[in-house]
Amino acid sequence: MELLKKLYKWIDVRIGAGEIVEKELTGYLLPRNINAWYSLGSVLLFIFALQVVSGILLLIYYVPDADKAFKSVTYIMNDVPFGWLIRMCHAVGSNMMVLVLLLHMLSVLCMGSYKSPREFNWLTGFILLTMVQGISLTGYLLPWSQLSFWATTVATNSANAIPVIGPHLVEFLRGSKMVGPATLGRFFALHVAVIPIGIAAMIGAHLFFLKRTGVSTPPFGRDGTTTPWTGDAYRYEGHPGGIPFFPNYALEDLRSVFIYLALFLAVVFFDPYIFFPRDAFLPANPLVTPAHIKPEWYFLANYQTLKIFPNELIGLSVQGAAMTFLALLPFIDRGRERHPLKRPLFLACAIGGLLLWIGLSVWGHYS
Amino acid sequence: MMMRRLFTGLIVVFVIAMGCGAVQAEDTVCITCHSAMEGKYGEPVKLWKGSIHEENGIACNACHGGDPKDAPNAMKKERGFLGAPKYNEVPSFCGRCHVGVLKDYLASGHGRALAAGGPNCVICHGSHQIVKASLELINEKSCSRCHSYERAKLIKAAMQETEGNIVAIDGRISGYKQTGTDVEKMEKELFATRNRFHSLFHNVDVKKVTDESAGIKADLKKIENSLTTLDEQKGRRKLAGAIAVALALVAGLLVHLLRKTYE
Repeated sequence: MELLKKLYKWIDVRIGAGEIVEKELTGYLLPRNINAWYSLGSVLLFIFALQVVSGILLLIYYVPDADKAFKSVTYIMNDVPFGWLIRMCHAVGSNMMVLVLLLHMLSVLCMGSYKSPREFNWLTGFILLTMVQGISLTGYLLPWSQLSFWATTVATNSANAIPVIGPHLVEFLRGSKMVGPATLGRFFALHVAVIPIGIAAMIGAHLFFLKRTGVSTPPFGRDGTTTPWTGDAYRYEGHPGGIPFFPNYALEDLRSVFIYLALFLAVVFFDPYIFFPRDAFLPANPLVTPAHIKPEWYFLANYQTLKIFPNELIGLSVQGAAMTFLALLPFIDRGRERHPLKRPLFLACAIGGLLLWIGLSVWGHYS
Repeated sequence: MMMRRLFTGLIVVFVIAMGCGAVQAEDTVCITCHSAMEGKYGEPVKLWKGSIHEENGIACNACHGGDPKDAPNAMKKERGFLGAPKYNEVPSFCGRCHVGVLKDYLASGHGRALAAGGPNCVICHGSHQIVKASLELINEKSCSRCHSYERAKLIKAAMQETEGNIVAIDGRISGYKQTGTDVEKMEKELFATRNRFHSLFHNVDVKKVTDESAGIKADLKKIENSLTTLDEQKGRRKLAGAIAVALALVAGLLVHLLRKTYE
């Protein structure tokens, strides 16, 4: 203990560690009425870290070659010590990351935390959602299974609907006319390098905006500690008299992480196959098209939207319009009120949109 | 000798199956034209759909030859079109792929009677609606068309238990395959054992069937043991999972209580 104190002092006198702890941890005050939904950001950070670690471990044995990829994954699952656990953590983790990210966004929507002055927070969060979808899509191909191959064929094919550049875009995405070794190469590069770096950078930007703007006050309950932003000049939304981040909210974050971990491990150990259809364990065969290839659950609504319109361009345009609307929501919804029950139009649209998304997903699953 | 013959047969089947895969079964011009036809010209397509051949991508041209990509010339002899074989030619027609089965058949009572009008392959297996060979093929209705069912019944009874074992093991292997478990070795062993077993289908010697079945049962037991090892491993993993989930929940509870102390 004495040795640790000496070490701390040694560091403190050099870099002012105590000042950082005071400013960023114990002196970093949060609204008194902050709730558990705010901890989903920390849960997401934990998930991302777990994905990076499990991904690096998988990289040791995974071979990004169309002739060897499936066998290397089979080897990981069956011969590498705890390889099955690492792979399942990575695969289940990617699904959970999307799920928690959607919940995080939903809580931000309901509590109006996307509103001024937090447009940047929302935009970076939205970009993170698309990047997470991108990393999931590119990762889907890597096991080189029937599911990987055909889901990627269907997904890349949808770009064909874009006028003029569509066919060129499909070829650019695939690296050839058909999904093949070139597609695996570029999806691998995107999955393990380009998108993770992008996500890390965007997480940095998201946290930077969070630090500069300050944590939003929940619209529920009384806080009374906020120094609100008025729009005339830059002002950090502080919470004098609020609760310290450390240890109080850090423990709340940690509790949420453990609850998530319990849920995650239950899926990993007891039924990870809810995320793996039968074709996920058959090697890719470009000559045999499986009967019912479906995308991952979070793309089912997009998939069904493409199917219900008479041509794919309309389907793509509708999706593009919906995504643009969501991305620009803080610029469209300019009202100051943040309590969901005092925003009936917003609440109706949000519930309607959510039900529509769930309905399309269920329809897509059974269609 | 038997094993070597079986493996030769398997290799031939795989090579032909791979070759057939070069054109997707549904995409052949044979299917396109014949599925639109009525009567005996359209019937084979309907029968073929749902067959074991369709399931494995074995299209019309794999048996009948011809060019599956060129409609005007698809049925020209110079493109390798063979047409339908004559009655006595059917065994050698099917035997191009099913090499081992052909030998078993020719050595059997059925095969020896072929020249005298005995049954060829399609009498029992059908010509297009061919399903995976199983004991169901031996039944009173089918056998009684030509002879009494008595001996066939005895043979079927001797094979029943083994067939049940094979089906059960196949189901367990499929279950593990759907979890990413490497079952290739077990699949190959079962495939070889099943073929050995199915070679008995053409035999009409009850004693031989009974003796051979004992050896096959022993081989099946080995596969069952491997599956039991996998079952045990699965159980251990679930136990470890339950402990991990419990630890995470306990940690969450402790952190929650600690958090309360700071309020």
